[in-house]
Amino acid sequence: MISQELKKVILNELNLDDFDLQDETMAPEVPGWDSLNHVNIILAVEKFFSVRFKSYEVLRLKNVGDLQKLLDIKLGK
Amino acid sequence: MNNFQNEDPEKLSIPEKTLWQRWESNAQRNPKREAIVHWVAGEEPIRWTYKNLIETAKKFSVRIKEAGIKPGDVCAIVIRHNPYLYPLYLGISRAGALPAVLAYPNPRLHPDKFRQGLEGMSQRSGLDYILTERDLDPAIRPLIEKEGNTIKSVFFPLEWDIKTEIDPKVDAEVEQIALSVKETDPILLQHSSGTTGLQKPVVLSHRAILNHVKNLGAALKFSEQDKIASWLPLYHDFGLIACFHIPLAYGITTVQMNPFEWVLAPILLLEVITKEKATLTCLPNFSYNVFAEKIHDDELNEISLSSLRATVNSAEPIRYDSHQKFVAKFEKYGLNPLALSCLYGMAEVTLALTIHEPGKPITELYVDRNELSKGVMKFAGKDSVVRVCVSSGKLIGGCDARIVDENRKDIPDGLVGEVAVKSVSMFDGYRNYPEKTAEVVENGWYFSGDYGFIYKDEFFIIGRKKDLIIVAGKNIYPEDIEDTINQVEGVIPGRVIAFGEEDEKMGTEQIAVVAETKIETEKEKNDLRLAILKAGMAIDVNIHIVYFVPPRWLIKSSAGKPSRKANKERILNREDKQVWSR
Repeated sequence: MISQELKKVILNELNLDDFDLQDETMAPEVPGWDSLNHVNIILAVEKFFSVRFKSYEVLRLKNVGDLQKLLDIKLGK
Repeated sequence: MNNFQNEDPEKLSIPEKTLWQRWESNAQRNPKREAIVHWVAGEEPIRWTYKNLIETAKKFSVRIKEAGIKPGDVCAIVIRHNPYLYPLYLGISRAGALPAVLAYPNPRLHPDKFRQGLEGMSQRSGLDYILTERDLDPAIRPLIEKEGNTIKSVFFPLEWDIKTEIDPKVDAEVEQIALSVKETDPILLQHSSGTTGLQKPVVLSHRAILNHVKNLGAALKFSEQDKIASWLPLYHDFGLIACFHIPLAYGITTVQMNPFEWVLAPILLLEVITKEKATLTCLPNFSYNVFAEKIHDDELNEISLSSLRATVNSAEPIRYDSHQKFVAKFEKYGLNPLALSCLYGMAEVTLALTIHEPGKPITELYVDRNELSKGVMKFAGKDSVVRVCVSSGKLIGGCDARIVDENRKDIPDGLVGEVAVKSVSMFDGYRNYPEKTAEVVENGWYFSGDYGFIYKDEFFIIGRKKDLIIVAGKNIYPEDIEDTINQVEGVIPGRVIAFGEEDEKMGTEQIAVVAETKIETEKEKNDLRLAILKAGMAIDVNIHIVYFVPPRWLIKSSAGKPSRKANKERILNREDKQVWSR
């Protein structure tokens, strides 16, 4: 399940008020989340949660749920 | 040794009037040399030697013939990053057909829109066959059955048997076809961006490309030691010509990455350069910003860019800040600041018109921005608002260019005008589009629609006549966006403009939309904005900012339609309180 904090960071970066982000939501389904913006979203998540993702970890992400899982691992959850 | 320039043609057993002959000749001279390194993140790269590549291409060419594809047929290739795409492309050429690489649809692109795009291309350029992956069959099949469509069939060449031996009789027939191709015959078809049939299909001949190999190769001082690393897609001329055709014709190695992987993990290109010791790479301007600002230093410990002798910036306006940031970050990782180079050109002259010679500092002129907007290049004084203009270098061999006014008459150096071009690598016109060709070609000169000036034989490109939007090197027609947004409920039909708005942080343009609407509440406006963003998504366009204005706000042009230029200026003045934006 996507945490409210992660959702807030993503939507804030995309300049959206609300959007139904589920585990299986993929970037192309979300307005503004294109390939050019992807790297900005990842950097925004890193900054907010004070974590660091490796490029290969980012490459393996298929959906928002994967991003949440990776974030949880980094946060030791 | 410069193998193309110095090779004695008499010593070659194969005449080299076509690209196929050139590739075959390279395979004969250097069979074990790597032609293409197919790179996939986290996997061992697949390495095509010239010999293997040609042998596999021959197998594909036989399958092409057996499939009923004839010389002159246009074969659209819609295939993702795959090691067999390269021999397939070469095989199509051996069979005398014309490859046309198209972008594989992004998941956000609606299947109907993808089909409409193909239909537009089919009607305009007459696509004969689509060579693709089976996943796309449901999206394409209805098009084949549609009346008036030129597409004869869809094939899935990645499923073809190229392991077993080919029929020698068919192979001999294909060989005869390959030998019958003349240097003036078309080799390929390139489509400009666009989704609604606005695409201009550029036809290039074997001679145009071979001339370009010679002239661009000389300008870039290619040698046998060179190796190109590229993340660029092959449906883009910068990727196809600079990073695929030129190295293969020249007989050197090109490393091909997956563009989708690069945008997710830009560091991959730096890894490729480090591991493969690449000497050249080609980067649209925004890439410099991405490298400089979107990669953490702690990931760069094992990166060395010391092998690079040229990074060529092209495909979108060159920005001074982008170069500065890139050098500041990567000099400590072995980047030679003098490796930075710029190229200006267009698909209509195959690729390049001018280039900055690597190894020398790029000329940067500090000019008065206000004077420049009036069409005069004047150096900045102490009270000037400064614009730094980056040189795109000098003309390459075989090209001529001049700066002209709106009547296509020459104007003196130092004045801003349209760039008109002549080249030995000139295109053969837009396929099936003589009226469009006639608009831009006059007495052998191609009128580019780009604005610039010449200073001491160097070209400085500062803008364009056309309303084209260039986002991260990708050309987007505002008409495509406007047609889509016009259909969104809440927008007054016909009262929309789209334009490119400078994004200094990203080093590129972003798409802005201005729409007239009668709605007034904040909630309604936010809902309408979301609907507009979603409409953009359906045509694979990311709308960055939406401006709402009241009815009759947009300034009309003399043709009675909203003027993009005038309204862009009015919006960017940011003085009108009636404008809502987000």
